[in-house]
Amino acid sequence: MELIIDSKFDAQNNNWQIEINGEVDLFNSAEMKAKLLSLLDEKPADLIINCANLDYIDSTALGALVAVLKNAKEYGCDIYLKNIKHNIEKLFKITNLDKVFNIEGDENEQ
Amino acid sequence: MSSEQTIELTLPINAAYISAARLTSSSIANRLGFGIEEIEDIKTAVSEACTFIIEKLSDSSKSPFKLKFKPNKNCVSIIFEVDANINFEFVNNETSILMIKALMDEMKVDSKNNGFVMSITKNHKVISFD
Repeated sequence: MELIIDSKFDAQNNNWQIEINGEVDLFNSAEMKAKLLSLLDEKPADLIINCANLDYIDSTALGALVAVLKNAKEYGCDIYLKNIKHNIEKLFKITNLDKVFNIEGDENEQ
Repeated sequence: MSSEQTIELTLPINAAYISAARLTSSSIANRLGFGIEEIEDIKTAVSEACTFIIEKLSDSSKSPFKLKFKPNKNCVSIIFEVDANINFEFVNNETSILMIKALMDEMKVDSKNNGFVMSITKNHKVISFD
């Protein structure tokens, strides 16, 4: 599935509103990392990532997010993962990354 | 489905086709009657095994590798046959391997001529009425 990343800067709240759609794996995790790092370079601010339409991420995507988080922290910023699906949240828990990221589950998911 | 019904998939050392392994494993696990959470576990473990193999071999091997899905009465085993060698001495802390071990009930690696065989197994959940 194609990876689509939409982003816009929320000037009122001084953060990036981002939507990641599709699946992120070894094939496109570098693309996701480059896009998120470019947003931080353009305007350092918190990254609010809506994961409602994110269907799958793998270990390389988790690694990419950790690299982006490290960069964000250097700017004094943070990453917030919202509406994350249960299957993806489970991977954060397995790898203990749920303690590193600010994660909100998908309220609509059973 | 009987144990003779092995399903084979051959993949190139190319990350573009890992999604094909995920789709195939989900479909087979669903056909075998696994629950939604178990299907997700199998799909993720298969994807991570492919990622591990492709990441380790992308610079050194052009040989495709095989996935064999072997359904049994109480479990499914997925066997990865790779015609190239990887040093497994220092891989136990790699995220892919940690995830496979966490999601599956069994994982083992055996060496073979000019390569290795990785086998991962997921058992059907046994529902107890005790």
